[in-house]
Amino acid sequence: MEPRKVPPSADSGTPQIRSPELGGRNAKLSLNRLKRYAPFFALIALSLLIGAMNPRFFEFNNLIRVANSASIPLVLSLGMTFVILLGSIDLSVEGVLAIGAVLISLLVRNNGNGFDLGWSAVVLAILACSGIGFLNGAIHVGLRIPSFMVTLGMWFIGVGVATLILGGSTVRVLDKGIRSIALDRPMGFFPIAVWVALGALGITWVIERQTRIGRYIYAIGGGEDLAALSGIPVKRVKIIVFMIAGTLYGLGGLLSAAQLGQGNALIGSGRLFSTVTAVVVGGTALTGGEGGVLNTLVGVMIMAVLGNGMVLLGISPDVQQGVQGVLIIVAVALSLDRARLKIVK
Amino acid sequence: MTATKSLRAGGRVQAAIPIVLLIGLVILIGVLQPSFLTADTLLVVMADTATLFILAAGITFVVMLGGIDLSIQAVASLSSVLVAIWLGRIGYWAFPATLLVGFITGAFSGVVHVRLRIPSFIVTLATSGLVAAAALLLSQERSITIGEAGRAYLSWITGRPFGVPSVIFIGALVACAGIWLQCYTPFGRYSAAIGAGEAATWASGVKVNRQKVIAYSLSAGLAALAGILLTGRLSSGSPTLANELLLPAIAAVVVGGTSITGGAGGIGRTVIGALIISVVRVGMTFVGVDIFAQQIVFGAVLILAVAITIDRTKILIVK
Amino acid sequence: MLAVEHVSKAFAGVQALDDVNVEIGANEVVGLVGENGAGKSTLMRILAGVYSPDRGSLKLDGAQVLLKSPREANLNGIGIVFQEQSLLLNLTVGENIYLGQEAEFTRLGLVNRRRMNAAARRQLAKVEVDIDPDTRTSELSFAARQMVELAKALALEERTEKHLIILLDEPTSVLEQRDIEILFARVRALKRRASFVFVSHRLDEILALSDRIYVMKDGRVVGHMEAGSTTVPQLHQMMVGRDRHAEYYRESRQGPPREEIVMEARDLSVTGAYRKVDFVLHRGEVLGIAGVVGSGREELTRTLFGFVPQSSGTLLIDGHEVRLTVPSQAADHGVGYIPRERRTEGLVLSLPLAVNVTLSKLPTSRITGAIRLSREIQLAKSWVDKLHIRTPGVEALCLNLSGGNQQKVVLAKWMNARAHILILDHPTRGLDVGAKEEVYELIRDLSEEGVSIILTADTLEETIGLCHSILVMRDGKVTARFDASPGRKPSQVDLIQHMV
Repeated sequence: MEPRKVPPSADSGTPQIRSPELGGRNAKLSLNRLKRYAPFFALIALSLLIGAMNPRFFEFNNLIRVANSASIPLVLSLGMTFVILLGSIDLSVEGVLAIGAVLISLLVRNNGNGFDLGWSAVVLAILACSGIGFLNGAIHVGLRIPSFMVTLGMWFIGVGVATLILGGSTVRVLDKGIRSIALDRPMGFFPIAVWVALGALGITWVIERQTRIGRYIYAIGGGEDLAALSGIPVKRVKIIVFMIAGTLYGLGGLLSAAQLGQGNALIGSGRLFSTVTAVVVGGTALTGGEGGVLNTLVGVMIMAVLGNGMVLLGISPDVQQGVQGVLIIVAVALSLDRARLKIVK
Repeated sequence: MTATKSLRAGGRVQAAIPIVLLIGLVILIGVLQPSFLTADTLLVVMADTATLFILAAGITFVVMLGGIDLSIQAVASLSSVLVAIWLGRIGYWAFPATLLVGFITGAFSGVVHVRLRIPSFIVTLATSGLVAAAALLLSQERSITIGEAGRAYLSWITGRPFGVPSVIFIGALVACAGIWLQCYTPFGRYSAAIGAGEAATWASGVKVNRQKVIAYSLSAGLAALAGILLTGRLSSGSPTLANELLLPAIAAVVVGGTSITGGAGGIGRTVIGALIISVVRVGMTFVGVDIFAQQIVFGAVLILAVAITIDRTKILIVK
Repeated sequence: MLAVEHVSKAFAGVQALDDVNVEIGANEVVGLVGENGAGKSTLMRILAGVYSPDRGSLKLDGAQVLLKSPREANLNGIGIVFQEQSLLLNLTVGENIYLGQEAEFTRLGLVNRRRMNAAARRQLAKVEVDIDPDTRTSELSFAARQMVELAKALALEERTEKHLIILLDEPTSVLEQRDIEILFARVRALKRRASFVFVSHRLDEILALSDRIYVMKDGRVVGHMEAGSTTVPQLHQMMVGRDRHAEYYRESRQGPPREEIVMEARDLSVTGAYRKVDFVLHRGEVLGIAGVVGSGREELTRTLFGFVPQSSGTLLIDGHEVRLTVPSQAADHGVGYIPRERRTEGLVLSLPLAVNVTLSKLPTSRITGAIRLSREIQLAKSWVDKLHIRTPGVEALCLNLSGGNQQKVVLAKWMNARAHILILDHPTRGLDVGAKEEVYELIRDLSEEGVSIILTADTLEETIGLCHSILVMRDGKVTARFDASPGRKPSQVDLIQHMV
């Protein structure tokens, strides 16, 4: 027993509490709040730095180029964001994207077969990708296999299916509508692809901020056991999240097919790691529960500005990934709230 | 000895499943295509497995304590470039020098990971970028063929003592050393303990950061060895030599039954995992699976194998 | 209103509840007291729908109810404020209050955040706190979070026709004195809205807040009275039971410590936790540190094992000045630590007993540096015998051992490492009476062998019973020192005076 002073009796009057009186917030935490914007400041600083070294960076056409190069990574990273917020991971990006791109290329007017389904081909292909996402989620929660391994397998399967239906070759997209996504610039501004990516950003933002699913994603990432105690349908939420991710990779497939004007099984090569990197650089924690789609926007922009800047500054392509590696470490080291994480895996 | 064995492995039934799976696969392929079961074919399969296994063995050290190493393919490629360049200049010294570079890159990843407290996924990806850039610069983006003079130094890789490719012996040596490290040394013990419960291990006075740095160093060091072996077999070094090997290596680790979250598994299991991966790959060609469909089968087998081999009793929340 | 009838519950052979009968009336505060392991928390969890009873039933307004999940308990008007807080720190206050209940604010799939926050504000107003529902929960103090938990429980009011019953499971354990007063004032004011079940191990608090009190001991209700008709000593008597005497703590085995000094602190300070602490620890001495939450004693013990580096002052171990920044340094100096969080910091649960016993010091070969596996098994077996650890074998996973046996494994780990200074951080927490006695016996054994012990115990009684000398802390400073040799033991009142 550790007796304490006996609290005053009932009628001593009710003290009015304001949060500061309860210890409320303290000054140290507002610094942490500031830290959450670190990736954004990093983006600004990086842009200014590159702009200072080469003023062409801020030219209108270059900025459009940056936006354009960010469109596909943004769409993919948005899907990945929700998965990472859960504390899971999805390695199937490249496979799903390949299936999406190949299906679209084969079902619209192309040089390989007689199909010409137009926009319904796009819908079909993206639905197929949602289906793969569903499978990812269902196997993950159904068989209780870590998402890492399920999606690793699905990566192979995806690339394999794309290879199989194309027989290892490449097919060219002849459909004007699809190509216009990458080529047309309404009102001389961003290409349609950028608008599509921004639309995806808007929708995922609404899902994250305004829907129950969004709320539950954070709850599961913050503490799966507590979330389950509050009656949240954890399994269903996880499956939905993997479906959303699959859908967005499918959309990424559409944009890729439009940009390259072709579909092949390796169209997604190299996308996985840049996607995860963008999400983490934006400030979303791999442990789940922290971050969000706006963070991802910042992360994708950092990577896009960095890529563009290195070209502008004439850094040899060989060195680029090295520079990128160093800057990623710096960015994450600066923005990670490491005091809170006792164990880093 | 039996008691100590079960001490290490945990569940004995769990440990046996991948072996059963491997034997089943070999028999299945052998029944469908009897020529698979000849000594020559099996030796080829094992020789092919050796480099994959060595890469996977390195990752196993890291996965055991709950991390991941994505830099191994870049390190293997860099070391192939280094060996190809150095062989002509410093002869046999090229091998230890290259291995040393491998260890150093791993130590770099490890130190950044534990000092800056950045997730290993990100750190090793970044290291991968740095190393790949170095490989591209050094090789000027070309593959480097090793001349006649250099090839003499490679005979320990290309030879066939007793009719058996020497890479099989090298792989077996790595397996034995790895199993010894994991089962009989404090480092191995502490790694498993960190993977299974980092907080308790730390509070038991174990120098957790040191074990982590050792694990990452070993991982990259073995990747360098794998790069050297690949160089020897191909007689040339290239900055993209090992680019397709990261995923199969990770797959070998998890198919063998090592938990991706750490704490359970080991190199012994990775031997089986790597053999399963090779047998499936080679077997598909033997059985006549459409070359374009092979990846699908491979992915499906991967998921299935993990579904069978994974030990769910120790995982409370599956992420 | 709510009646618990003949409820029993057992875990892994330990009878946590044995034929318990409790009634909760409308608009009253029912106090529940008992020592750790008396079954209070199990009872609360049964009421909250986390566990279901093995035998017996719950009746709500005379009708039998089955509470299969916390959600069903909620629908029946039962809310709980957990001892370990159940708020998700990465969500906002408003999101936490309505977690899982967003449906009522959802239209066309969109959650109306403004309406939800307005409703959350209404709940927060019930407990009279002024917190913006958009605040991240991690930014709140423990006290404020406790209020949010209370508001969350009160939100049930609008979802159920039933009368509200709110379970407060040791809500004061993390609170400062002033915040406790505020909490109590709120509970009193809310009595017209709801009934409360209040669990605390602080008897004065129970007396101050409750209308009626149930006393539990070893899984049974051993007393039931009006709060006005009893006193702290009387409650204490009932909780402890008659069969406890001085020998419970093996006081007859308490010999004098040796002269040799093994650890000494001079002006030891950690900024924001405690300052200028001095003490001397002799060989074979058991030194107790007493103090309430926030007195700095928890940080002090954690400093001595390198979890919290000291900010100033001097720490000497065996006469050498040391500065401990990580646990491994402390272990290198022969210090061992038995943590409060046995399951996360004490043991690697999914590894075998033998591996845990040798985790701090592996038997290695001098020549090769390799682990001597057969020696390891031998060592583990000898510790199992010596400490009477009940286990199917040394390969058994620690996961499958009972709490008391797990604690013995942790002790064996440090004894195997030949730690000559042991820091025991609440070593009997969550153990049943029998296991506690075994731990006490072990502490005496260790002391006789010349191992020095620093003890922060769960109860003052334990501190007084076990220690040679006692350090009392308040607000980060040492306020008193007591000699506690047999026959000269201070009383609890002596200590309390300097604690509060």
